[in-house]
Amino acid sequence: MKVLDIALKDMLRSFRSGFALVMMFVVPLLITGIIYSAFGGLGGDGGFDLPVTRVQVVNLDQPGPQFSFSLGQMLVGFLQDERLAELLQVTEAADEANARAAVDSQDAGVAVIIPPDFTTAALAPEGRASITLYQDPTLTLGPGIVKGIVSQFVDGFAGTRIASGVVADQLGQRGVAIDASLMQEVAMQYGAWAEALGRSRGEGAHPALDIQPPPSKTEPVSQGAGMMGPIMAGMVIFFAFFTGASTAETIIREDEVGTLARLFTTPTPRAVILGGKFAAGFITLIAQVVVLMLASAVIFRIRWGEPLSVALVALGLVVAAVGFGLFIMSFLKSTRQAGPVMGTVLTLSGMVGGLFTTGIPNLPAAYDTINLLTPHGWVLRGWKLVMAGGGVGDVLLPVLVTLGMGIIFFAVGALVFRRRFA
Amino acid sequence: MHKNFGDVYAVQGVNFDVQAGEIFSLLGPNGAGKSTIISMLACLLEPTQGDALVMGHSILRDPMAVKAAIGVIPQDIALYEDLSARENLNFWGKMYGLRGAALRQRVDEVLGVIGLAERQKGRVGKFSGGMKRRLNVGIALLHKPHVIIMDEPTVGIDPQSRRNILDNVKELNQQGMTVLYTTHYMEEAQELSDNIAIMDQGKIIAHGTHDELVKIVGELDRIDLTINAEAGRVLERWQATEGVHQVSAENGQLTLLVDDSNVVLPRLFESASRGGVRITSVEIQEPNLEAVFLHLTGRALRD
Ligand SMILES: Nc1ncnc2c1ncn2[C@@H]1O[C@H](COP(=O)(O)OP(=O)(O)OP(=O)(O)O)[C@@H](O)[C@H]1O
Ligand SMILES: [Mg+2]
Repeated sequence: MKVLDIALKDMLRSFRSGFALVMMFVVPLLITGIIYSAFGGLGGDGGFDLPVTRVQVVNLDQPGPQFSFSLGQMLVGFLQDERLAELLQVTEAADEANARAAVDSQDAGVAVIIPPDFTTAALAPEGRASITLYQDPTLTLGPGIVKGIVSQFVDGFAGTRIASGVVADQLGQRGVAIDASLMQEVAMQYGAWAEALGRSRGEGAHPALDIQPPPSKTEPVSQGAGMMGPIMAGMVIFFAFFTGASTAETIIREDEVGTLARLFTTPTPRAVILGGKFAAGFITLIAQVVVLMLASAVIFRIRWGEPLSVALVALGLVVAAVGFGLFIMSFLKSTRQAGPVMGTVLTLSGMVGGLFTTGIPNLPAAYDTINLLTPHGWVLRGWKLVMAGGGVGDVLLPVLVTLGMGIIFFAVGALVFRRRFA
Repeated sequence: MHKNFGDVYAVQGVNFDVQAGEIFSLLGPNGAGKSTIISMLACLLEPTQGDALVMGHSILRDPMAVKAAIGVIPQDIALYEDLSARENLNFWGKMYGLRGAALRQRVDEVLGVIGLAERQKGRVGKFSGGMKRRLNVGIALLHKPHVIIMDEPTVGIDPQSRRNILDNVKELNQQGMTVLYTTHYMEEAQELSDNIAIMDQGKIIAHGTHDELVKIVGELDRIDLTINAEAGRVLERWQATEGVHQVSAENGQLTLLVDDSNVVLPRLFESASRGGVRITSVEIQEPNLEAVFLHLTGRALRD
């Protein structure tokens, strides 16, 4: 069974990568956990306990005179945010050598080194800001978390750059010349918007939920669980799509390192090779979804609903995530493109699909309809129906739609890839 | 076969036979079209025009049979760096249809042949360039193919790994495997091959055994020399010197084909000193494939 051999090889490789594991299993639980703890779950018997990672930050960022702010400073502030205090204990080091020494002597788990040109590189049109993470090799979880958080921050500014690029383009077409201060204005506006959005994600639900010290020990658990369900579902869906895209990305990566061509020189039909990759994604996703659902059922006491309907919805998710991943990747030329594009497309489609707003009640009804433009929205709808006690009959439509969308995306992606490697 | 990439004519009407059991080399400089030919024979690229038979199977009509009969060693190392050497061999063995005990035994044998038995559990990403090259070769041997196609398997490695690979090629050939070998190192083609095709710009410009090819330059001597000035200062004058057939200059080295170096060398020294140029080193070579290439193209083979 060469299909399985290829699938097993791919899975072995991705399970060996600490980053993939953290993204698949830890981060979704973590984000939900942060939201959970924001509602007081951690204060008492939260049952959610991660070791605090000690972080040393060195901020060498020296923005040029054209910038009135320092992204390095913002990143330091971001890491020191009190919402992360349960996870990270951040100290600023005097210089790079001190920070590295602290890691070497195991006084810190990770050193985050922000280079002098960070602001300039992050906001330059073609710039590529890079941050050095120096980590204790014996740790995986803590550094993984820091890496996730730092990437999120840097990607946020990739978004900034895209936004200002779009504005410059549009104004340019209308004959308006752009100067640096205008670009900076646009970047700031976007930054403020992104930050506000982030805040509303975290805090938007407060008024409705009315956080107060729980009156009794058992009450808040079910109340919390009622709200945690949709939030966790959003996370499961988002990160499942991430896994789907990462699976498809291995095709491009193998093309780049030559192993794909080498596979083509063996007596293995191309359909089998693609099938193996598909199977790897399928099995990995099933494992991911099952683990996340079980773990969150234990940690956050989420009741997912009637098993058969849950299984159907989860199957729809897996198929849609594999198909959508292949579809996106089929348009990309290189893994260099893949990172940013994957981040942008998955985040945008997740946003449109309503994955990040599951905790916000009373959204306008039109938003529900917009959600259904994406496979994510359909999966989410199915999930909400199951959690509301729906049976197989209730979830059938969303499940069929997600399966259909997944298959169509897969077919288009497979066609594009076939043409590319013909 | 012909192969065009848009308006790049990478292979222009190449035609050759490789006898069962021989080592056949395609020798040519960068961009000659060697890898393109290999890719077509490995059924990775379709020829724009033409066809090839490998063990009697057409690359166009029966690619699966061709692929099962050949082992391809790609020019660029193609391995999974996050897997160990053994895991790589296991996986690729399965792709060639090996399973179970047969696979295990064959992986052990190949690890021995490429000298990596002791490092089999090490992650390939941590291997040296030479070790990766050897593993790159080993993968293509797993299924004991009738034909091995090697695309510059020794580029950029240490002498020891190079020796290992060249010795393996000869050893495998003695066991009966047919080898199609490409290189731009004249010495390798000379050491290994029964037959050599010299390629340039998409065409085979000469073809035969080493001795037959060298006869093309006849009794000419070859002189390699360096001077303390730009080659342009002597080039034209030397081209016009009596007894000189050809002069080429590349990377600060001049290569000349001459009738009799004993007679011609004094003339070169004299003309150099008249031009105020010093000759800083001289080497007289037996006529070799390098000289053949120079004779046929007016350019040096080395890169
Ligand atoms: N996929 C491709 N698209 C366009 N041009 C190509 C492609 N592959 C090869 N070429 C061109 O075809 C010509 C022959 O290339 P090829 O790789 O076959 O040469 P080679 O003899 O293997 O050289 P080297 O010793 O550098 O490996 C070159 O001019 C190369 O630029
Ligand atoms: Mg080549």
